[in-house]
Amino acid sequence: MKRVIAPRAREVLFVCGLQLVVACQRPAEERARRDLDVGHADNGVLGVNVPGGLAAVRVFTSDRLVLWSSAPGWELELDAREAVAFTLELRNIMPSADLTVVESAGASIDPLESELVTRKRYSLTVPAGQTKLRLGAPGALEDGAFRFALMSDVQEAIDAVDDLYLRMNEEDGVDFLLGAGDLTEGGSVEELVEFQDHLEILELPYYTTLGNHELWSKHPPYQDYFGRSSFHFVHRGVHFSMIDSGSATIDPLVYEWLDGWLAAAYDDVHVVAMHIPPLDPIGVRNGAFGNRAEGASFVAQLAQSRVDLTLYGHIHSYYSFDNAGIPAFISGGGGALPERFDNMGRHFMLIDIDPRLGLTDTRIVRVDKDY
Amino acid sequence: MVRGLSLLVSSALIAASMPALAEPASPKPEEASPTSSERAVAATTSVVPGVILHGTGHYVLGEPDTAKRLLIVEGIGLGMVLVGGGTLALAGASRYLSGPATVVAASGFGLFFGSFLADLYGVTTTDADAARRRSRSVAGAETEIGYQRVAGPTVHETDIVFQRVALRAGDFRVTPSAWFAAHSTGVRYRIEGAYRILGSTPGASGRGTSDYLDVVVGGLHHRAPKQLFSRSSIELQADTRFDFAHLGATLHGLFFELSAGYAAGRIDYEIPGMTVPSDYDPVLLTRFGIGAIFRGRTHVGSEAVIYYDHRHDEIIGGLVSRGLGSGALGRFGVDGRWFFSSNLGVAAFVEIGSAWHLGTSMVFRQDGALLSGVKDGS
Repeated sequence: MKRVIAPRAREVLFVCGLQLVVACQRPAEERARRDLDVGHADNGVLGVNVPGGLAAVRVFTSDRLVLWSSAPGWELELDAREAVAFTLELRNIMPSADLTVVESAGASIDPLESELVTRKRYSLTVPAGQTKLRLGAPGALEDGAFRFALMSDVQEAIDAVDDLYLRMNEEDGVDFLLGAGDLTEGGSVEELVEFQDHLEILELPYYTTLGNHELWSKHPPYQDYFGRSSFHFVHRGVHFSMIDSGSATIDPLVYEWLDGWLAAAYDDVHVVAMHIPPLDPIGVRNGAFGNRAEGASFVAQLAQSRVDLTLYGHIHSYYSFDNAGIPAFISGGGGALPERFDNMGRHFMLIDIDPRLGLTDTRIVRVDKDY
Repeated sequence: MVRGLSLLVSSALIAASMPALAEPASPKPEEASPTSSERAVAATTSVVPGVILHGTGHYVLGEPDTAKRLLIVEGIGLGMVLVGGGTLALAGASRYLSGPATVVAASGFGLFFGSFLADLYGVTTTDADAARRRSRSVAGAETEIGYQRVAGPTVHETDIVFQRVALRAGDFRVTPSAWFAAHSTGVRYRIEGAYRILGSTPGASGRGTSDYLDVVVGGLHHRAPKQLFSRSSIELQADTRFDFAHLGATLHGLFFELSAGYAAGRIDYEIPGMTVPSDYDPVLLTRFGIGAIFRGRTHVGSEAVIYYDHRHDEIIGGLVSRGLGSGALGRFGVDGRWFFSSNLGVAAFVEIGSAWHLGTSMVFRQDGALLSGVKDGS
């Protein structure tokens, strides 16, 4: 018996070893593949699809659907096998955003009360067949200048992040807060829930990618709560590509998606954001991609595609620099252990952008009085 | 600063080995050699509890002085890891302290790892005397040609032809090298000029230790058309090798290498039809290795080194992992050389960073002074 099993065991060990070696080379592959599942669900009676995975399905029962939005606007495709009525709750959306019917043979939407400005609830009835809805703020599909905020690297300071949110709420004309990762210290379910609980203070939606601190566990739950780690959306004529660089590299699958996003935005203003920057402005520190050649090649790809602005986190300070001539900012002032001797402290950025002119202005807002 | 640190580490090692230096380390008489079972017990204890208390194996083997010195080296290494790592953590990876702190931490880890391996090596090696007698003569000329294979999802140049020449005259060495991508116009040129402050030079007897201290000035140009960029850098670093025989007679043939330096680098983007500003991209140079000299049927120059190299601008960069810590570490590798004759040998290496990198080459070396009349620097 042993003679039969031993070769098989050796084969299994060899395959496992080989997988381990290959896995080391594509540490972000599992997350990239999980991205493809975000925004899709089916309970047998109703199929839900959010193209581009721009919303995560948080709760899906026979009478309730809860979606966490990752972008200002997106479409919701429903495939009902029979007429159904349920409550639709949209979380993390712009206060002015609303849901409208794009295609349907008799769907009805009745707004319900909601306790938060970044949440909307609807009583929804859809007939059997296909129904297409659209979420968006008024004018979101039209080109126009706007302002957004940037904040990253909260990590162990979740309990104190309200200071930043309250200060952000005082700013006028900010459409949303963009995040470049490291929301939590360890990426556990408890921390992600706590982070979303604190977000209820913020009167803006928070669109983010993940950071290396979200990746402690074997199967990080981040995507179940915040949606895709790499995604692309367009707001008022400006393209945003959020890239998962939490493993100090980019998975080949994400590079494939990025090719399409870069091509789609070639003639438009394009903002690319991620957690770990491809190149650290302080090179000897290497708070950057693990391979400088990949970092340089990636930056060259962005420059070749005429990207207008790059935004990063990971380094707990503020840096303004260029990479391949593209304006670049690192803003890691969300409260994580700060870089010493930089005279910066907790902060967020305000960024003004115009779909015709590109980046028009930036401003740092410091939160701590010591600085 | 870097040279100062290398000297500091060397000084620490020498301080730990002072008693051994005072008395030339020589192997015990044959009749006093430990038995196989004694060595087996010592080897086991060098791992457990030796992984915590370095030198335990030597203590069990009846070499308390060597054991004490290995413990001191472990302590120095551990202290440096704590100082360097602590500085990085407490200063939040400050732009002002990250470089020096990383060098201190990496060097400390090298000493820590080295003293552990030295304990295991010393209690399992039965031919320390053969290692002691093996010549350490330095080649006046050496040339190498080979093939390298790179395997990884973000690597564009996978098949590489490699060539290197090293010429030594007295205290000076010049080493031009190049590799050429087989399937593209990717190319990498490098030239090193070194001055030997301490250690053996061509024409010397080759007797004694493997110690050396070199100051190295280097230049590098890497053109990667497929990846739309080229990189150029000017480098300054100190390379040292410390012979573990200073710590005890059982450690003949084992050595510790440490390099530290700085590369001022620039990235030029080569995008068809576009002119794009270059980026300044400095690189921290830190490397440590623990190696052993081969004996038996091999010839002079045969040795193997297990190493860690922190620099991130080589073709495979540094290690990447799923999450925390990814990108911070450099690459790990093993490099070996085996000379069949006094002139001809083969070399091979394998290393892992963000990709796998393997290579093999033929090596030709010629001992003795390259130029007649050059002062013997031994």
